[in-house]
Amino acid sequence: MKKIINTVSGLLLTVTTSLSYAQQAANLDELLSQLEQGKIAQSEQNQQREAEFKAKLSQQDQLLTSAKNNRDQQIALSNRLEQDFQNNEIKLANQSDALNKRMGELKELFGVLQQVAGDSKSKFQTSVISAQIPGRDVFMEELAKSMGSSSKLASIEEIERLWFELQREMTESGKVAKFTTEIVLANGERTPSEVTRVGGFNLLSQGKYLEYINETGSIAELIRQPSARYLATAEQVTLTPAAITPFALDPTGGSILGLLVQAPDTQERVEQGGPVGYVILAIGLVGLLIALERFITLFIVGAKVKRQLKQPTASGNNPLGRVMLVKSQNPDIDTETLELKLSESILREVPKLSSRLTLIKIISVVAPLIGLLGTVTGMINTFQAITLFGTGDPKLMAGGISQALVTTVLGLVVAIPMVFLFTLLHTRSRNIINILQQQSAGIIAERAETEKGA
Amino acid sequence: MIMFIDMMNAIREFMDTGGQVLTVIAAVIFVMWLLIFERLMFVFYGYRKVKKHLQQTWFSRSEQHSWYAEQIRTALVARGSARLNQNLPLIQTLVVLCPLLGLMGTVTGMIEVFDVMAISGSGNARSMASGVSRATIPTMAGMVASLSGVFASTWLQRTAKRETELLEDSMPVAH
Repeated sequence: MKKIINTVSGLLLTVTTSLSYAQQAANLDELLSQLEQGKIAQSEQNQQREAEFKAKLSQQDQLLTSAKNNRDQQIALSNRLEQDFQNNEIKLANQSDALNKRMGELKELFGVLQQVAGDSKSKFQTSVISAQIPGRDVFMEELAKSMGSSSKLASIEEIERLWFELQREMTESGKVAKFTTEIVLANGERTPSEVTRVGGFNLLSQGKYLEYINETGSIAELIRQPSARYLATAEQVTLTPAAITPFALDPTGGSILGLLVQAPDTQERVEQGGPVGYVILAIGLVGLLIALERFITLFIVGAKVKRQLKQPTASGNNPLGRVMLVKSQNPDIDTETLELKLSESILREVPKLSSRLTLIKIISVVAPLIGLLGTVTGMINTFQAITLFGTGDPKLMAGGISQALVTTVLGLVVAIPMVFLFTLLHTRSRNIINILQQQSAGIIAERAETEKGA
Repeated sequence: MIMFIDMMNAIREFMDTGGQVLTVIAAVIFVMWLLIFERLMFVFYGYRKVKKHLQQTWFSRSEQHSWYAEQIRTALVARGSARLNQNLPLIQTLVVLCPLLGLMGTVTGMIEVFDVMAISGSGNARSMASGVSRATIPTMAGMVASLSGVFASTWLQRTAKRETELLEDSMPVAH
């Protein structure tokens, strides 16, 4: 569309210009004469141009020849240089042959140097000795690089330095050394502190294990320390480094201790259980409270019953006393009615003694069941993760599975004490009920006989 | 002395590989066997005195056929039975608890295995091994503890039942 507009406007322009010419001419004859004059003027111009060109012809020839000369010269130069290059190649090959011949066994030596330097570099990077003597790996890396380039030869000083560094690593790994440096505490604070280094294995400061972070070259306190009895040995080493003391060292040079940091603690574990875990814990708490209340009640009642066994007069503040009161309230009834009345009053006492114990039993059964529920929901989550992301990442699945297992653990953790508590409480209440059921009649009979005898 | 230290070290190493649950199981085993020994001592020594006293009380009675006499006899037998059955439910509960604790150890051990997997992937079998040992050792310990207790508690229960019946038979009612 734009194109069309352009052409149309161009056409209009030519039309208007031709119109302006036409307007200058008064009539057709005049126009004709004008055209003629124009033609003449044009041919004059052309002739003039031709003359000028002819005049310059010789000059153009000259330019051409000079350009050709120049080209020939350059070709010659190129040939000469190419020849030179080939000659130099041959010379170079000869020279390197000569170098190889002359180096002979030395070449093997440099290969070994490069290999040793490379190996030592990676060893020094992870070694805790680097915390005390930094910068050794830089030298090793440079040496290995220059050895690998084959254009450089190692100087005597460099070879001797390599020897020295290897010897120093060896010597230092047999020492318990102390030095002062800046360490990063668990709360992120940086303080200069005295650090004890045990060979090439561990760094200690104030009875705590440290880790050496190679990337930043810094020494940091481990966020989670190993258990107290290992820390005690660490404390002893920092206090008396010269004496012979037992010490728990990490033979991997810090990687086992590093795994400690990643292991979650108890609170994080419980959080992994999710809502199901909290439900189990809440039920467990309820069970504990019930058990506590029962314990206190049964203890008091048991003590009162024991006192009642020794006292001749029945009192109404304990189950046994209330059962015994039946006899004194009905002094003149026959034995069969007395037996019925006794069992009736015992039946009244039993529910008070064994109440809420079934609830504890139920909790001990239900808690593992809820744990199982949590396991199943956790597995559902895991399989959902598999559906979404596939089985490629075991880490993704492992997280869900450990979540599932935590609820099982919580269920068992609640159930085990509940079973235990139930047995204790049940035995206690059964003892009291036993006294009521099997002995109350006997006690009454004994009392009655002694009264009769007296 | 050195043998003792070696033994302590071996036990400590075993406890470390088994994890915290093993300590709990050890405590349960200790309490369980303490109770079992107390029971054995009672059955073989303490009970004789109790039995003699009960029988004496019964035979020293002038009449042994009234309702009163029968009630007193029941009470005497119940007293003996109560002494014989003391702590037996507790022992049985501890026997039942041992495999449960073992199961708990298994699950915590498996959590550790999966934690290792979550941190270092499934390729590192060596670092998973510690979790596996924590899963299996408590199970084994729980089973062993439970088995050792089952025989003792069953024997004690049978003995208590038999002794109660013997006590009942030894105190005849005169008709």
